[in-house]
Amino acid sequence: MLKWVGLTFMVPAAVAVGYAEPVWPFLAAGGLTGAAGLLLDQITGEKRGAAVGPRESFLVVALIWLLVPAFGALPFVMGSVPQLSRPVDAYFEALSGFTATGATLVPRIEELPRSMLFWRQLSHWLGGMGIIVLAVAVLPRLRVGGRQLLQSELAGPTEIERFAETIRETARRLWRLYAGLTAIAMLALMLVGWTGLDPEMGVYDAVAHALSVVALGGFSTRTESAAAFAPVTQYVLLVIMVVAGVNFLRLYRVLVQRHFYVLKSDEELRLYLAFFALASTLLVLELLAGGYASGEEAFRTGVFHAVAIMTTTGFATADYTAWGPLATMTLLLLMFVGASAGSTGGSIKVIRHLLLFKLVRRELEQTIHREAVVPVRANGVVVDERALRSTVVFVLLYLLTFALGGLGLVVEARRGGTDLAAFEAFGAAAACIGNVGPAFGFAGPYGSFEPFSDLSTLICTALMWLGRVEIVPVAVLLMRSYWRT
Amino acid sequence: MKIVVLGAGNVGRAVVDALYEEHQVTVIDLDGTRLAMLSERYDVRIVEGNGTTRDVLRDAGVEDAKLLLACSSREEANLVCAMHVKRLSSALAIVRTTSAEYLEAWRENEIDVDFMISSELETANAISGIVGIPAARQTDVFAEGQVQIVEFDVPEGAPDGPVIGRTLREASIPPDSKVVGVIRGGDLIKPRGAERVLPGDRVVIIGSPGAAREWSQIIAHDEQQVEDIVIFGAGRMGTTIGGVLLDRGLRVRFVEARAEQARHVAEALPRARVFQADACSRDFLERERIGKAAAAVFAMNDDPKNLFAAVLAKAYGVRLTIALAHEAGSLKVFEQGGVNVGIDPRQITAEEMVRFAHDPRMRQLAMLEDDRFEVLDLTVRAESELAGRSFRELPETGSMIGAIIREGRAIFPHGTEVLRAGDRVIIFVEARRASLVERTL
Repeated sequence: MLKWVGLTFMVPAAVAVGYAEPVWPFLAAGGLTGAAGLLLDQITGEKRGAAVGPRESFLVVALIWLLVPAFGALPFVMGSVPQLSRPVDAYFEALSGFTATGATLVPRIEELPRSMLFWRQLSHWLGGMGIIVLAVAVLPRLRVGGRQLLQSELAGPTEIERFAETIRETARRLWRLYAGLTAIAMLALMLVGWTGLDPEMGVYDAVAHALSVVALGGFSTRTESAAAFAPVTQYVLLVIMVVAGVNFLRLYRVLVQRHFYVLKSDEELRLYLAFFALASTLLVLELLAGGYASGEEAFRTGVFHAVAIMTTTGFATADYTAWGPLATMTLLLLMFVGASAGSTGGSIKVIRHLLLFKLVRRELEQTIHREAVVPVRANGVVVDERALRSTVVFVLLYLLTFALGGLGLVVEARRGGTDLAAFEAFGAAAACIGNVGPAFGFAGPYGSFEPFSDLSTLICTALMWLGRVEIVPVAVLLMRSYWRT
Repeated sequence: MKIVVLGAGNVGRAVVDALYEEHQVTVIDLDGTRLAMLSERYDVRIVEGNGTTRDVLRDAGVEDAKLLLACSSREEANLVCAMHVKRLSSALAIVRTTSAEYLEAWRENEIDVDFMISSELETANAISGIVGIPAARQTDVFAEGQVQIVEFDVPEGAPDGPVIGRTLREASIPPDSKVVGVIRGGDLIKPRGAERVLPGDRVVIIGSPGAAREWSQIIAHDEQQVEDIVIFGAGRMGTTIGGVLLDRGLRVRFVEARAEQARHVAEALPRARVFQADACSRDFLERERIGKAAAAVFAMNDDPKNLFAAVLAKAYGVRLTIALAHEAGSLKVFEQGGVNVGIDPRQITAEEMVRFAHDPRMRQLAMLEDDRFEVLDLTVRAESELAGRSFRELPETGSMIGAIIREGRAIFPHGTEVLRAGDRVIIFVEARRASLVERTL
């Protein structure tokens, strides 16, 4: 599969040609990746018949999300890109790209060559829906182990069973929708530029931001992120973020199959919108009360950040690190909400919050009525007890990983003498594990993770990786029983 | 009429009991001893063998039979048997089923049998009727719900009132209703004008649903409408009953001891509340205040357990207890034990099946008191010698007309009313005289 990843380097190479920038880093990286892929093929060649089983799929998912960004980092290293040439930094940036996190180590983004910037954006798009989902959908005759592989990569607990006849068809539908949304986003952004509503928005920026926003990534071609563009553009981005944060399986039903009732009846969607409404209100109120903005700007800024952080995109139109504690606290908590399951967003996901809420309610109910039998339902369908347990376990693992990550950052900051407040450490950990991107303090939306030491960078990298694969595939690898036959 | 019955179990037995005197009945069953027991008691032909095979069916003489009652407990066997019979003869094929899916498929004409009867659904409807009239021992509706027949027990020591203790001529009986029978000490008393309804009597009335509710008030005036009900046992029967009652807008709670069943009913009926507990656990009954429930249904598979739980619930204060019986003698035990209403699902199923053996004019039939009495729904023939006579002049046939349906409307007739040809009559009759009534009308 890896050899095909090599091909994707051709896209930024073309961009490089277009802007008369050096092409060779991409060609070399592509060549290397392709060669490594072919080599892997040779090694595993004799075992071709052995398909990927449910157990192996954990390993495959965990490894792919480590390996692909490693090759993705090659152009940065080989091109000796300023601010990114050190392997640790390049790997952080590439993994942040593929996991659609959007955390950056580059303080001054405009100084990067355009082809390199484009590669960052493209990595978002490739990773957004899932590398394996992409591979299954596009590549010919790929041996798919089964649903498990796709299930472990798709974000959140989603039922892919009733969606399409075959895995391949499911993957195809998802990608068709994903590509369609991207095209619409590109067109919308270009239109804004052409009609002169936003003179800053050119074709290059339109394409770059479309790739980033649909993947709910957060990389921008500007240091100032979305603030560099006109309010109209920000509204367009806002709408696309909201749409891309919806479960794609639901979205497919609504947009392609025209089952509009899904909009009304879907509990996750309702909670998703309710979270938006609540967070937006809090932010707008804080902006007005704190005097950070007024009128339309307060509304736009408040809603934009609620959406950008909750969907784990990480775009920004203002430096929220300067806002009052109500705003920063709201944003930190939003990092734990996440988008819907089956979307391109990260973090805990709305459906898990929904299930947790229902579980708590049942627990209380059973405290009063000890013998009561209360199945938990989502959208009227009974949720399997195992699925409920794994939801609880996931959230606990998530919080544990987050806590350890935050602790690790503080320990490392003490050792390395970096000035890092506890809130900022937790912010960075939450932003990384939730695949949000920008955190607080120096790692805020206009800043970067650059002041972190190498070890801290590695901690953040690990958190992003764990967040993207949703911890469990990695956690099972730590079990001794996994390796025993 | 020649009738083939598949299955010599409880339903088959009840069917045979109702039919053997009038008809030529052949019973098919796999179990020779069951058949032998049946033939010792009833004058029927028995065929031992598999009723799903054509050889056995031919042997039983289905070719010239008019009616097949497939009432074994194996529903797939019932279906296959009916399919064969539909090919081999022109007989009506009536099939017993326990599956809601089959019933639905049959209603949509996807299964080619003439009638399908679900014990569960019939029982659930019967319970739904009783719950609607809490004082009733038994109830049944006729003529698309316009006419209701109710059997009441007048409590011992009931005070005299506008109805109880007075002669029927003087009593203020609810309009649109008629007393069609009074059973005192096991004997039927003809409800003439000079008779009285006394405490301890069992009264059978035919009337409009509204009048039936008024009667319920008269018999037991302190009882209010049932709004919440507890169902013990969430098997297929309990679940069906719960579904019907929920649809009627009642609050339903289930008590089921088996974890898997409890989970299953909780998933199937989102509006019901389900508890996994033993029906006889005092702790549980007290904690959940089961005694406060207006009514309870005992639908467990174990008759002694149903009885024990019902008596216990009664002791905790449940007003109306309805227990299901699965064995022949259980109903009597239930009654002795103080259960308000005992229901034998097999009896109800048999009742539904037997009505196909009656006169084709007959629309419906209900059995009371272990088939001592029947309620018939018949249309008066033009050549009947009774047509054109007033009710006062009708001869004594041991029967009582409770209602007539004329031009789609129910009339509860007085003595001066004239019986016309084409009238549908709802008639209460002693079972042994049913065929006489059928012939005369």
